[in-house]
Amino acid sequence: MPEMPPGILLTALDSYKLLPAIVFLPTRRRCDQAASEAALARRDPSDTRREARRDFMRAFVEEHPEVRGHRHWDTIIRGGVASHHAGHIPAWKLVIEKLMSAGLLDAIFATATVAAGVDFPARTVVLTGADARTGSGWRQLTASELQQMTGRAGRRGRDNVGFVVAAPGLHQDPLRIAQMLKAPPDPLVSQFRATYTTLLNLLDAYGSFKSVREIAERSFAYRDFAHRMVQLERSRDESEQKMRDTLKHAGCDMPISVVLGLERLLGIRARLQEAKPQTRAEVFHRWLNEVVRPGRIVGIGRSGRRLVMVTEKRDGSVRGFREDGSSASFPQERIGRVYSPLYRLRDDDIEKAFEEIRERGPELTLAEPRLRDADAEETDALKIVDDSIENLIPSNIAAKQQCMEVVWGLHTTAEDYERASRRLEALREEVWLPFEQRAKVLAEFGYLDYDAQKVTDRGRWLADLHIDRPLLVGEALENGLFNSLEPKQLAGIMAALTADEDRDYGELELDDDLVTSLARFEDIGFKVSAEEWKHGIEPAPELNFSAAGAAVRWANGAFWSEVVGETRAEEGDLFRMFSRTGEALLQIAGLRRSHPQAAQMAATVAEMVLREPIR
Amino acid sequence: MPRNNGKNWDKHRSRRRKPVRKPETVETSRQPAVQSREIKRLLEGIGSPPARPFKPDPFQLEALAALEYEDVLVTAPTGSGKTWIAREEIRRLLESGRRAWYTSPLKALTNSKYQEFIDEFGAARVGILTGDRKENSEAPLIVGTTEIYRNQLFDSLRGGSEVNADLVVLDEAHYLADEDRGHVWEEAIILTPPRIRLLLLSATIGNAHEFALWLEEVRGVRCGVITGPGKRPVPLRSALLLPDRRLLPLLNDEGRVNPEVAALIAADERK
Repeated sequence: MPEMPPGILLTALDSYKLLPAIVFLPTRRRCDQAASEAALARRDPSDTRREARRDFMRAFVEEHPEVRGHRHWDTIIRGGVASHHAGHIPAWKLVIEKLMSAGLLDAIFATATVAAGVDFPARTVVLTGADARTGSGWRQLTASELQQMTGRAGRRGRDNVGFVVAAPGLHQDPLRIAQMLKAPPDPLVSQFRATYTTLLNLLDAYGSFKSVREIAERSFAYRDFAHRMVQLERSRDESEQKMRDTLKHAGCDMPISVVLGLERLLGIRARLQEAKPQTRAEVFHRWLNEVVRPGRIVGIGRSGRRLVMVTEKRDGSVRGFREDGSSASFPQERIGRVYSPLYRLRDDDIEKAFEEIRERGPELTLAEPRLRDADAEETDALKIVDDSIENLIPSNIAAKQQCMEVVWGLHTTAEDYERASRRLEALREEVWLPFEQRAKVLAEFGYLDYDAQKVTDRGRWLADLHIDRPLLVGEALENGLFNSLEPKQLAGIMAALTADEDRDYGELELDDDLVTSLARFEDIGFKVSAEEWKHGIEPAPELNFSAAGAAVRWANGAFWSEVVGETRAEEGDLFRMFSRTGEALLQIAGLRRSHPQAAQMAATVAEMVLREPIR
Repeated sequence: MPRNNGKNWDKHRSRRRKPVRKPETVETSRQPAVQSREIKRLLEGIGSPPARPFKPDPFQLEALAALEYEDVLVTAPTGSGKTWIAREEIRRLLESGRRAWYTSPLKALTNSKYQEFIDEFGAARVGILTGDRKENSEAPLIVGTTEIYRNQLFDSLRGGSEVNADLVVLDEAHYLADEDRGHVWEEAIILTPPRIRLLLLSATIGNAHEFALWLEEVRGVRCGVITGPGKRPVPLRSALLLPDRRLLPLLNDEGRVNPEVAALIAADERK
């Protein structure tokens, strides 16, 4: 079903008295378009609320001048509808929320982000689809997302009933919506994880990895692990008890380590057995791989009478010259014989080489390996394993043969025991390991002393730096990168760091100095990432250069409208990015004692960034 | 002159358009056609209730009572009055000279809560702390982001001043499941000293009791679970709007899909 034109949709809803409504649409652009279209279709000069809206907005502008002259101003006043999404600045969203709760709007076209956090209900929630838009396509809405949206339907004290209406749309699926409406709420799932900041703060507070680990193991995530661990421990203990009882019952006075030993030896045996060549062909193939090489003469076919001088070997196929000088190319398996001498690949030598082989062929033939020779190594190892298995049972045991059988019979129980133990170990490490990895990386850069389990002086100020990727910023500070910068460039660098990785903030030109500084910053980032990678930590997102350009412009004193116009980015995106940049700068400004110069500069730039409308 | 022109143009236009049936315009279709009994039932009671003086819900009072002696986790749908519980508890504390911290996940929410509490308790008694805003930070009631609260806990553990509060409210506590920031909520809960009362306000979640058990294990303090009204504060009905503007109930009273809807969809799929 194609989407209904927004004007028609609202008329239809109105005919059932279902307004005001929040209409959820998949993208910001659709919201803006729908609001303008609906406003055009709904020009109703008799609407007495028009004047009320105008007065309301005029009063609002007194307090929030940044919404003056907004491009959707008329849409709201004339049409009584608005678009609401993360592309708008907070003040604009606020005026829409206020108009809505004053009962002056008939509809809001919104993306799903409205559902989270902001509280403005309507009589009706309209869903135009059962899917959500992602960066790369569509995915199904989850039940809790849908419930967040329907949570906006029905205003307490103002509506007797709230409605959720599935309206026509390309991604509509009323049956799935019906199903999700009935679904029970999702459980809360822990997202506990290790961060540098948490590790440094906890280690500095408690003074040992053991204590930090204890804290990590109090997480909600670990509680779940702990339950699984209890189950695993139980199954491990059951296996252990079974082994003990069986041995005792059979009168075999020996520890269960004998049974576990057999399990381990059998494991080794199986692996050796697998590595061993099994057929003559396999042995021959391995041998050819080893001995066929450029400069050797080989005989082709089973008889091996047609001779070829090998000049090249690649991926199991061989090239060379025949005796008559013609070239030959064939798969390696066709070789039946290999002669031992290695000749130089020069015309004269090749001639002589063929001569020598013709005369003394039989005595120069390399001996083919026999199956028994080939697996001698593995066979020897296997023999040692077999002997160990034989000697597993202490010789002082009376009924040795009988006990051996009992031990063999417990093999699968021993396997269960080992499996449970291994899983237990893995679970025990799961929560702690990421902390340990980070501790090693921090130690590498001197922010903590791994052996002494202590945060260094350097680590102490890093612990106070509440920022994205503190280690990178810390290293930039330590390398004096920020001291050589102009203040506005510091804004650029912090913007590049804190901005969403793949959002486009326009293609403002970056001056050479900024590009050089960004490159140096990236360089430091690379060193940090390389060390993180070495310790098994996922690489961090890349710097966003377009954010840097916009932030430098803003920190340089440009008007808001200029930056918006030049970047063509959405106001809401710029607002959030500048606001986060400002917060990051304030964090650096807090390092007055360890990095006075950078802190001073950051404080100055923060003021430039955190000016109206970014507060 | 212009008026005449307009008339002529109108005449001309209406003559030309005569054979075409006038389409239903947006303005004239405010009245629905004939409403079926089904639709009448679907829309029954639509409208606004008469104004009533505010009366707290039993679950709100229950939560307030529980806060006297234990931590409390309130799970209830949006708009059912969780904030009222926090506000009343804060009022009680402030009146007896005690202190509270109110955390929220978003800066916008923090700012609007700040304003709300100023209106309620007066500017002198409320402060705000976010990444870029610090006002009246010694006030008995602090509103701030969960990150800032967690950072204060870190500071106090590392020898800074104690977090000076008798109650901490974690609004939108289900943010604990947020992929990027959820860990901050867990850290805040684990590190909050047991002497401080916790009030967690959460959307409806599937494992409230398990969550509360974890809180008890971690803090060594009993944690009550208060589930908001089983029903939503305003009942919800669902409907399907068809391209021809007909409205059909989506689920019937027993919570099953309306057979007419199912038949329509089946027919649509056959096409």
